Amino acid sequence: MAAAGICQRLYELTSKPLPVLEDRIVANLFYENSTRTRSSFELAARKLGASVLNLDIGTSSVGKGESITDTARTLVAMGVHAVVQRHASSGSAHQLAEALTDKVHVINAGDGWNAHPTQALLDLYSMLTVKPDFTGSKVAIVGDITHSRVARSNLWLLKLFGADIHLAGPPTLMPAELASLGVTVHNRLEPAIEGCDFVMALRLQLERQAQGLIPSLGEYRKLYRLDHHRIRLAKPSVKVLHPGPVNRDVEITGALADDPELSLINSQVSNGIAVRMAALYLLMSGRGTLR
Amino acid sequence: MSASILIKGARLLDPANSIDQVLDVRIVDGDVTEIGSDLKLNGSGQLLDATDMWLSPAFIDLHTHLRDFAQSDRETLETGTLAAAAGGYATVLAMANTEPPIDNAAILSQLMSKIEEHALIEVLPVACVTKGMAGAELTSMVELSAIGAAAFSDDGMPISNMAVLRRALEYAKLADRLIISHPEDKDLSQGGCIHECHVSTRLGLPGIPAAAESAAIAREIEVVRQTGGRLHFAHVSCARSVDLIRRARADGLSITADATPHHLSLTVDQSRPYDASYKMNPPLRTEADRKALVAALKDGTLDAIATDHAPHTSLDKSRPFDEAPFGVTGLETAFSLALEHVAASGNLSPSDLIALFTSKPASVLALPQPGIRTGTQASLVVLDPKHVWSYDSEKGYSKSVNSPFHGRSLTGKAVLTVCRGEVVYKHGEVLSSRLSKAR
Repeated sequence: MAAAGICQRLYELTSKPLPVLEDRIVANLFYENSTRTRSSFELAARKLGASVLNLDIGTSSVGKGESITDTARTLVAMGVHAVVQRHASSGSAHQLAEALTDKVHVINAGDGWNAHPTQALLDLYSMLTVKPDFTGSKVAIVGDITHSRVARSNLWLLKLFGADIHLAGPPTLMPAELASLGVTVHNRLEPAIEGCDFVMALRLQLERQAQGLIPSLGEYRKLYRLDHHRIRLAKPSVKVLHPGPVNRDVEITGALADDPELSLINSQVSNGIAVRMAALYLLMSGRGTLR
Repeated sequence: MSASILIKGARLLDPANSIDQVLDVRIVDGDVTEIGSDLKLNGSGQLLDATDMWLSPAFIDLHTHLRDFAQSDRETLETGTLAAAAGGYATVLAMANTEPPIDNAAILSQLMSKIEEHALIEVLPVACVTKGMAGAELTSMVELSAIGAAAFSDDGMPISNMAVLRRALEYAKLADRLIISHPEDKDLSQGGCIHECHVSTRLGLPGIPAAAESAAIAREIEVVRQTGGRLHFAHVSCARSVDLIRRARADGLSITADATPHHLSLTVDQSRPYDASYKMNPPLRTEADRKALVAALKDGTLDAIATDHAPHTSLDKSRPFDEAPFGVTGLETAFSLALEHVAASGNLSPSDLIALFTSKPASVLALPQPGIRTGTQASLVVLDPKHVWSYDSEKGYSKSVNSPFHGRSLTGKAVLTVCRGEVVYKHGEVLSSRLSKAR
């Protein structure tokens, strides 16, 4: 419910950009490279008038093994007001939040396989814009669920909003006891997307083949790639989402990803900036809390 | 110790000698001189009123990582053995995966001298099965045994090549020593850091399936069936493993096994998310697994409770969960946890519980049976099973604080530990003077 309010407010915010965080500093702390997410946060912060400090730790001399706590202390000493962290380890945002004082806000920009909360918020927001009566919607998430923080964050958030969640992917890319999280698990694509309101394709990391988790991209395409033919199993009003960057013709055909009638992929990117503005505003202006 | 001590009114629990009776015990110059009722303090001796307490042979731990050498920032022989003494132990088996590992005569001799100089209690060194724990070439087991190796293990770096394990079991017969296996199929566990189940799925952490342990156990049992030899499975954590061991023992194989206090008292569902104090290998499993371990200790499938005391620095443990090292400390909390989670919930008698810390681990190692007998040197522990205390790992004796039990209220505590006639721990007394003492 809180997130719905947020989405409502950010809608107003995007239309009238305010220098509301003029004296504030947002640090982008990216232990893992992600040009897209980092740029999105940077634009969001700048639109609110905040100063942005980019720390690309993944490429700097401070590498793996650097204590998250030490980095946190440095940021506090610099007078940073919010930290946006991307890290390869699940739980690292949680750890940073525990290490920082209450005065510094932590936004998780992706931690390992665990969570990518602003991605889920922007996905939900994108879905709400086309289907405001979201409760009861059937949503399918397709692909590598095991390694996906996007899938996990969406699962928690969309369940909160009453979605009927179906996950599909090869058994080798589905984590243990997945159904216990309150979702329906499929190994085949077709039953998952049948009658769906929304279908989200996940990016397939190409190294999964070398890890022995899938036999070939060809077989993956045959079984799980979304295309115009398969999407007919879903509702006529179905919309397709993807967290990006898209492996064209692996998890989704280029034609479907680019279809203005069916694809929300472009609006996901612009909505991402709005959602991140909302998150920064609510946290840093002291006018609300995001939890 | 030159004075005499009279321990009065304790419930004497000596499983090897089938004694469970309230008796007084007198120790003079380190020897047990008298056991009986209504013993009187004579002269200037110390009196310990042990009414409602237990008195048993001192504990034996089959699995301790004392570190030292290049890892003395984690633990030293002094701090580790003091922590052991505070937990009621007078004997610990020190694992060989030190830095450098104990895989040759020179380093083992150096360790023996260190033990002689710094250890407060009896330390039995374990040597590696293979050189550099690389799982290929056998160490000189006969020579190492002559120097003092009590057993052989590549703990933490399990031998994956079954031909190597076969040769090790065969060759160890020549040295008449036990091989201790850390049963883990590294291919199945690869990259994992928590039990594979709904918790790993929820937290987005790579899982370690139960089969990583049980598959290794199944395979190694078959190698023992082929070759004979004595194999001990350390820190067994899941129900399937217990079933396999039970069947192998019923078949008459020389297989023994232990479980740790943490696997007996905690489950994966109880671990604090992303807190590396709960990260150990094998990982905490399910409640069904935990119950199977308790039942297996009761029916004799498992022989002992062994701590797998594994100290790590706070810096290392503060790394992100997937990068933090495996292992938790355990010497100072083992008895309390066993009392609550094995004796009370598993319905074990005090004597049967004590056997898991004394006579049974001695049998595993083929050591003389411990006991409290007149005319023998005293190695014993007085335990207060009702003592309620709060475990503060920062105030513990181990150099490291990586315990999931930090801050918990525990019941039961060693109050006096005597090792080879010498008081090595007395509850409530400052023992720092012991630390600088060379024995």
